[in-house]
Amino acid sequence: MALRAQFENNNEIGVFAKLTNAYCLVGIGGSENFYSIFEGELGETVPVVHVSLAGLRIIGRMCVGNKHGLLVPNSTLDTELQHIRNALPDTVKVQRVEERLSALGNVIACNDYVALVHPDLDRETEEIIADTLKVEVFRQTIASNVLVGSYCVLSNQGGLVHPNTTIVDQDELSSLLQVPLVAGTVNRGSEVVGAGLVVNDWCAFAGMDTTSTEMTVIESVFRLNDAAPSNITSDMRASLIESMS
Amino acid sequence: MENINIFSETFKQIISEEVKSVQLDAREKDEDSSPSADEWSTSNDKKSCYYCRIEFPDSQLQRIHYKLDWHRYNLKQSLLSRLPISEEEFSEKTGNDDLSSISGSDSEKEDTLDTFAIAQGKMFLRNKDNKVFSLYKCLMFDKKEEVSDDSVLDRLKQCSISNQQWTILMLGGGHFAGAVFKGTEPILHKTFHCYTVRAGQGGSQSSKDSKSGGPQPKSAGASLRRYNEQALVQHVKSIVETWKTEIDRSSLIIYRASGPYNRSVLFGGTTPLLDRSSSKLRTIPFSTRRATFAEVKRVHQLLSSSTIYDCLEAATAKFSKQLSPDTESKRNKVRASCINRAKSREIAERPLPTEHLNDSDLELEVDENDDINENVVLSTSELEIPLNDLREFDDSLTPEQRKKIPKKKKPKKSKTKKLKEQEDAKKKELIEIITNGDIKKLTILLDDHLKLTEEETEKTSDEFINKIVDDESNTLLHVAALKEQTNVITFLLENNANPCLKNKNQQTVYTCTQSKEVREFLRQFARDNPDKFNYNKAQIPINALTNEEVADKKKAVRKIKREKEKEKKKENEIKKKDEDEKQRFLKLSDREKRALAAERRIINQFGKVTTRCFLCAADIAGKVPFEYMQNLFCSMECLKAHRMQKPVLLS
Repeated sequence: MALRAQFENNNEIGVFAKLTNAYCLVGIGGSENFYSIFEGELGETVPVVHVSLAGLRIIGRMCVGNKHGLLVPNSTLDTELQHIRNALPDTVKVQRVEERLSALGNVIACNDYVALVHPDLDRETEEIIADTLKVEVFRQTIASNVLVGSYCVLSNQGGLVHPNTTIVDQDELSSLLQVPLVAGTVNRGSEVVGAGLVVNDWCAFAGMDTTSTEMTVIESVFRLNDAAPSNITSDMRASLIESMS
Repeated sequence: MENINIFSETFKQIISEEVKSVQLDAREKDEDSSPSADEWSTSNDKKSCYYCRIEFPDSQLQRIHYKLDWHRYNLKQSLLSRLPISEEEFSEKTGNDDLSSISGSDSEKEDTLDTFAIAQGKMFLRNKDNKVFSLYKCLMFDKKEEVSDDSVLDRLKQCSISNQQWTILMLGGGHFAGAVFKGTEPILHKTFHCYTVRAGQGGSQSSKDSKSGGPQPKSAGASLRRYNEQALVQHVKSIVETWKTEIDRSSLIIYRASGPYNRSVLFGGTTPLLDRSSSKLRTIPFSTRRATFAEVKRVHQLLSSSTIYDCLEAATAKFSKQLSPDTESKRNKVRASCINRAKSREIAERPLPTEHLNDSDLELEVDENDDINENVVLSTSELEIPLNDLREFDDSLTPEQRKKIPKKKKPKKSKTKKLKEQEDAKKKELIEIITNGDIKKLTILLDDHLKLTEEETEKTSDEFINKIVDDESNTLLHVAALKEQTNVITFLLENNANPCLKNKNQQTVYTCTQSKEVREFLRQFARDNPDKFNYNKAQIPINALTNEEVADKKKAVRKIKREKEKEKKKENEIKKKDEDEKQRFLKLSDREKRALAAERRIINQFGKVTTRCFLCAADIAGKVPFEYMQNLFCSMECLKAHRMQKPVLLS
């Protein structure tokens, strides 16, 4: 399912929310509208948690995570960290990272298996990412942009990248990430896809301005609609081919 | 390549028609900036890295590749829109250099010939015959003006041909030098100097005054400098005003006035000397020395010269020659090794930026050297020296004669030695005589000595008597004192031996001996002959007492002591009596005490009676007693003790 949402009249919902397969973090807003959209959609499956990081609510850009773990910047307060640890499932490791590029959400894009990171990221941070999130880390740029987290949204099903990404780049990236990629926009043409969209394997939330065309692209690439290619052609394909060959 | 004056006819011809500015390494730039076409394309196989231009047989290798530093470096290169480098190049780079280059973000601007030329304030121009010449840009354009090909020729003609009058003003450190040139000749000039710079610290007095928060220095020097600063402004003003017409007529006004103070002289005040917005105004584009007339002339000569090259290639070659050695050496030095900060740095001799501009001068020097080399023709020629006729050196002296020469000197030495030995023997004899106390022999010796030196003056006896006889520079008197021979001492003193003389240890006769006898003897002598010697200097106490006097004194002291003891005894007895009385009082029962007190009171009416503490029997007459149950106590402690002994039973 792909939904539209708005955070206090702001369409950049990726800034105020972080969605993974194991949990959903939501910034503390003035009204509960934003929260209730997530709660209504996800409440039965994953915990939806109100969170602030370093007293800020732009949590989507500050932290990065997947179903294995969550990385928060060094500026996170102890109380906030404790609150997150209490609210998240025990399987999720929460780790603070000492990284110069502290907006982790902007410099890291990941799903449950791979992560693209800013070329200048620390070696130590890279190791922490690999250990905590249990992913393979690649230093990469997207359409000559180093902020891979801002210009790319990944799930285990697919990915949406900056509209200016060349075909060569897309092919290369998709061969690297082992997921199909599409260059597209959100929020009526915004190229900052990371800020306008949050996804997990079965659900996506986009800014209120997102057009239906953009929604269609999102739903198809992340395989959110029920009319997706059947399991035989998608999920089971790799294993089937492997066993047959 | 040749240097010519821009006022000359040849220069006029060169710039006669068309002039355009040229860039020295324009071609190279074009090559650099043209983006190399992205011809690289992958095959259908998608396992590749676009940034590094590489393909992989399987995805495993691809994944590994994405984690390499090489990939990261190429990523950065592509962000800077540069070409990627191959793996070999990269390994070379990291092998030689430090790893910092991986970041690939060094956007250090390369030193090109053009930037070098700009730094020197020069610009290169080309005329229609493709002749290239360089001259100072400031002649045509102001610092901030953009170079435009349209106006170059007009401006150049304006300042070099149509109006050859230039004004140069230099101001700095209390020096002023100004001149108006027409062509190459100065038509007006003036220099002067005022003492305005603070000699110790540097800087002008006014800047110091404005800087320091506290009171302004009031020293004579400070006020002198303040006055001189005013005077300098006035003086410059008067000069510039008298030159006003000539300055207005000139095509360029070139000035040097560094610092706010110097600029304020030219441009400050309600009616500034020069109009700051004037298009004629230029600063000198190179560093200059002290403002003197010679310096002004040098500046004018440099500014008005132009270097002419045959073509652009020649210009580039010549100019890069000036550039390269400097920069190369600089870079090598930087890379050489880490700096040892413990050592003082070697002083690098740096030429003034202007000095290598004088390549014309340089060439002249080189030429001269060449001339010298040509005039002196060096050649080698062989010369044979025969070795057959060699002999030993001749000697004019016979062996006998040679022996005589050293012999002449020997007797002299031995004479002095002998004398010395004699002296030593004499001294030893004297010491022996003194130790024996043999006065007769001493008198004989003295007489002998006097006889020997009869003709000479009176001092001769002194010479003998005050003779120093041993290594410690003791005189006869010292020896006698040490040997405690009082007879000898009297003899010597009567013969005017000086007791003030000191030996090596700075001891006089009196202080050198510890013997009481000798000292007493010396003191006695001093008392008997009070005016003979300076006894102060001889450290003999004259005022010291005789034995009898000392005895008297001792007696007196003993008497005083005895009296004191007596007094003490008396006091002790009194105390004892008091104590006894106390004891007796304490032994009394309360009733008896009261009776005694009453008795005392009765006696007191007649005369003296003391009141005593009821408990400890201390005398409390005259004090304010503490009272309890009609009994008097000396202190609260006593009262308390009494109460504790006899508590009052409350019924």
